Amino acid sequence: MTETLKALGQLALLSAIYWGSAWLVKATGAPVPANVLGVLVLFVLLCLGVVKLGQVELAADFLLKHLVFFFVPITAGLLDWGGMFAEHWLALAVAIVVSSALALAVAGRLSQALLRRGK
Amino acid sequence: MTPGLSTAVWVLFTLATYLAARALCQRFRHPLLNPFIVSAGVVLAVLIVLGVPFKDYAPAKDIMTALLGPATVGLAVPLYRHRQLLRRFVGAIAGSVALGSLTAMLSAGYLARIGGLPDQVVASILPKGVSIPFAVEISALYGGIPPLSAAFVVATGTLGALVGVWMLNLMGIREPMSRGLALGTMCHAQGTAIALQEGDLPGAMAGLAMILAGIFTAALAPLAAALLF
Repeated sequence: MTETLKALGQLALLSAIYWGSAWLVKATGAPVPANVLGVLVLFVLLCLGVVKLGQVELAADFLLKHLVFFFVPITAGLLDWGGMFAEHWLALAVAIVVSSALALAVAGRLSQALLRRGK
Repeated sequence: MTPGLSTAVWVLFTLATYLAARALCQRFRHPLLNPFIVSAGVVLAVLIVLGVPFKDYAPAKDIMTALLGPATVGLAVPLYRHRQLLRRFVGAIAGSVALGSLTAMLSAGYLARIGGLPDQVVASILPKGVSIPFAVEISALYGGIPPLSAAFVVATGTLGALVGVWMLNLMGIREPMSRGLALGTMCHAQGTAIALQEGDLPGAMAGLAMILAGIFTAALAPLAAALLF
């Protein structure tokens, strides 16, 4: 019971950071997703010691364990897009496969070169 | 059914499907069998079979995703846990993830363009390599369609799970940390899961790369959008 209450309190803190970030994005009109800003804000607060790991990790670990749950209802929006997939599946497949391979190559080869030089 | 009741039913149904899929996937472990693909497939199939239009399901979706923002903010926790690793290799990590993310966006965008896809779809495909919560928000900022982006993210993750390791070997990427970074940059959580099978260090690197790819993709998206549109 106390664990649940603690997790709810931590959830309130995570929510406050998210909504604060969302408000800031809206107020400034910056082209940044609120959740990206929220991650950076919490990371900085943790690094500065303003927020302690113990004050967020219970709720964060629980939510991250079930993060994929949130994606299930989002995918239902695909209902309206069936025709687009039927028409353009080949172009989509080519774009996804080729660009993924390129991203893998660039990130892998570049970091390998940088890490080996640093040794 | 009244709208309120049907919304409650959809929420419970989606939740139950997710929990059942999770239990199933823990029982039968396989890289392509994940709780998300199974439960999203079941929910989509039921909506199609019953002929339910998305607008009738949307109120349930809004309720269920209310906590996605705060949950995503929680990604700062694993980032913080690996801060020593991050500090030690900051140049190699940041440089490769940033350039990898930009490569992913530009090549996906141009190829989608050449393939004759409409602008909305091109914008939706840009963030396909990053975790869904980041991808849907980045996509929406540039006129993309969030559920399409989610689908592209899943396709990319599945591709990584299928051939990620083979691609790494083919490209001569042998450094364990680089293998993790490349997988996390290319295909988010699925890549991280594969990297974890190779060891703790590649796994940690992939986890870092996955979160940083979200941040860099958001930061570099204005550049990609300016070049593409």
